[in-house]
Amino acid sequence: MWLQLLINTISLGSFYTLVALGFSIIFGVTHTFNLAHGELIVLSGYLAYGLTRFWETPFAFTLPLCMLAMTCLALGLLALFRRLREPYELSSLVFAFGLALVIQNLMLFFFTADYRRIPTSGPPIRLVAHTLITRNQLWLIGLSITATVCVSLMLRKTFLGKALRAVIQERETARLAGIRVEHMNRIAFAVGGALIGLAGPLLGQSAYLHPSGGMEATLIAVVITLFAGAGRIRGLLMGAWLLALLESGTTLWLGSNWRELVSAGILIALLIWKPEGLLARKKSAAEL
Amino acid sequence: MKKLGTKRIVFAILFALILVAGPAATRIDAAPISIGSINPLTGKLASHGREILLGIQAAVDEINAAGGLAGNRVVLHSRDDQSRPEVAVGQAEDLIVRRKVTALVGGYVDSLVGPLSQLALRHHIPYVASASLQTHLSREDNPYFFRISHLRGLSEPLCGFVTQALGARSAALFHAATPGATELAGELFRCLQEAGVTVTVVEKFRPGVPDFSPLVLKLKPSPPDVLIAATFFQDHLILARQIRELGVPIKAYIGPWGVSYPTFVQEMGKAAEDLFGLCAWKPGMALPGTEEASEAFTRWFREKYKREPTSTVMHGYTSARALLDAMARVVGAGKPLTGPEIARALRTTDLLLPMERVAFDAKGDPLYYRQTVVQIQNGALVPVYPAERAQGSWVYPMSLSIQP
Repeated sequence: MWLQLLINTISLGSFYTLVALGFSIIFGVTHTFNLAHGELIVLSGYLAYGLTRFWETPFAFTLPLCMLAMTCLALGLLALFRRLREPYELSSLVFAFGLALVIQNLMLFFFTADYRRIPTSGPPIRLVAHTLITRNQLWLIGLSITATVCVSLMLRKTFLGKALRAVIQERETARLAGIRVEHMNRIAFAVGGALIGLAGPLLGQSAYLHPSGGMEATLIAVVITLFAGAGRIRGLLMGAWLLALLESGTTLWLGSNWRELVSAGILIALLIWKPEGLLARKKSAAEL
Repeated sequence: MKKLGTKRIVFAILFALILVAGPAATRIDAAPISIGSINPLTGKLASHGREILLGIQAAVDEINAAGGLAGNRVVLHSRDDQSRPEVAVGQAEDLIVRRKVTALVGGYVDSLVGPLSQLALRHHIPYVASASLQTHLSREDNPYFFRISHLRGLSEPLCGFVTQALGARSAALFHAATPGATELAGELFRCLQEAGVTVTVVEKFRPGVPDFSPLVLKLKPSPPDVLIAATFFQDHLILARQIRELGVPIKAYIGPWGVSYPTFVQEMGKAAEDLFGLCAWKPGMALPGTEEASEAFTRWFREKYKREPTSTVMHGYTSARALLDAMARVVGAGKPLTGPEIARALRTTDLLLPMERVAFDAKGDPLYYRQTVVQIQNGALVPVYPAERAQGSWVYPMSLSIQP
């Protein structure tokens, strides 16, 4: 039972990571509080649903197609966000809220209010004795770790990544240092869009798709980003797994009544005592 | 002379036209009767809310096609409560105060229906709810609230099926943290215990959680014979799948609501096989004595709306038919179409419809509402209990070898 719980927890945490990755990158680099993040994930899920249902596209092929489509859409949205005036953070939040409502209603019109699900890829695999892992869990864990490692390596080992990190840390100083901040914004939206495209089909397979299901995903993304700290990619994975462990453990031992209460309590405590994120270091005086 | 003759002919034609068209024009322009309907058309409950509205629309279309209410066209004013109670109240106020609707009909789940029942009392406007369960919502001191469904209509057949038909020795209860689901779980808990069934686990959860695996793991050490999951469509999509994926050897999975839908079978595929649900009506399953009417409704509905009618559609249709029938009796008796008069007429309703015989008690609760247990067999919903409504026998224990 313990091994099964661990697998389920890692799988849930991996799902949370995928949902939060795109939000964290976009928020960290561009300071855009994209409240339509969840709706974009659901939209990507519907795209994958359409591909599998009507064109009988294998699930694996829907992933790159959705990533490409959502990258293009994210870049299109950036063009709209760039038209917003100061204070940008507040304007982007209000704009994204409106955008979320528009996307929700468009999805309701085109995909109806029926709940949809992308079929799973095959029977579960028996690991040991009574412990099973489903194909969907394998996709989630594998893709989540791969995406996290790729984004983390890009941020840490490439010149582009260093420039992105510089923008995350201090936007104006990065600009003064000659970094093309607008270009970094485009890259952040492109990467974020691709990650949104990746999360959508997995949401449709592990849970369900519904036009109003986006807010749930946005909340998860915000909570995980707060847990880890904006732009802290490895911390994101750890934070997501930790949150999943808390939720699963609470449900198992205390009952499902306590699930949200414990998570919310920890989040409030975190915001009070460690607002920079659970796994983030405090900036030293020299850094400041 | 010739000119005068032409003029006379023209006047005569005009006069004749007025005579012929006059009554028709009066019929069309005679003050239409407005009724209001507030349903969740967006948000989490949108799929069910839209079905309720479609059923109500079908009843209104039907009566208008038959000449309206004593020659008066019925106009349906629909509002979206966005699956939120505070919006439902705002929309109802708008319909009552601004649109001056004569009565309200519709509503899905108690959290949305409850506030409207109080509003109906305050404005003296009759309200016939389409889908409401909670016992305390109906009260003798609210003569304006009526509903066509009730908790007993689910709990009694369900408990009878588990204890008498299946002969289960143990059961687990998972339920959504909504008023109706919580009360149903409490009622079932009491009934199962009285029948000597051991209830091993009772768990309440927020509807829409993305993962049920910790709850499913709780069942693994000592699996119950039956799992009753009193929750919504979307939760069954995850929970029923995870039960199969994690190989919990339960013998029956019962979803009192949310399971017995063609769309559920379609989305779940083979993983839906052998699951039990409850259903008040479906094409081919009507109240004895209403088979022909049910068949005619199904044909007409398919043709007009190009879709399959469901149990939820029929809840909307039945509530609207009950209201329109009462209004027709008020108009037919030459009385003014006021809230108190319609409410009085509703209390004397006795109407045989495909879903139920509609009659209300002093609290506005339905006297004859009773659901049927259905099982998904080869992709079809087969009524299996009670015996008088059964069209097949049940598969028990369910097959666990089927994987999503």
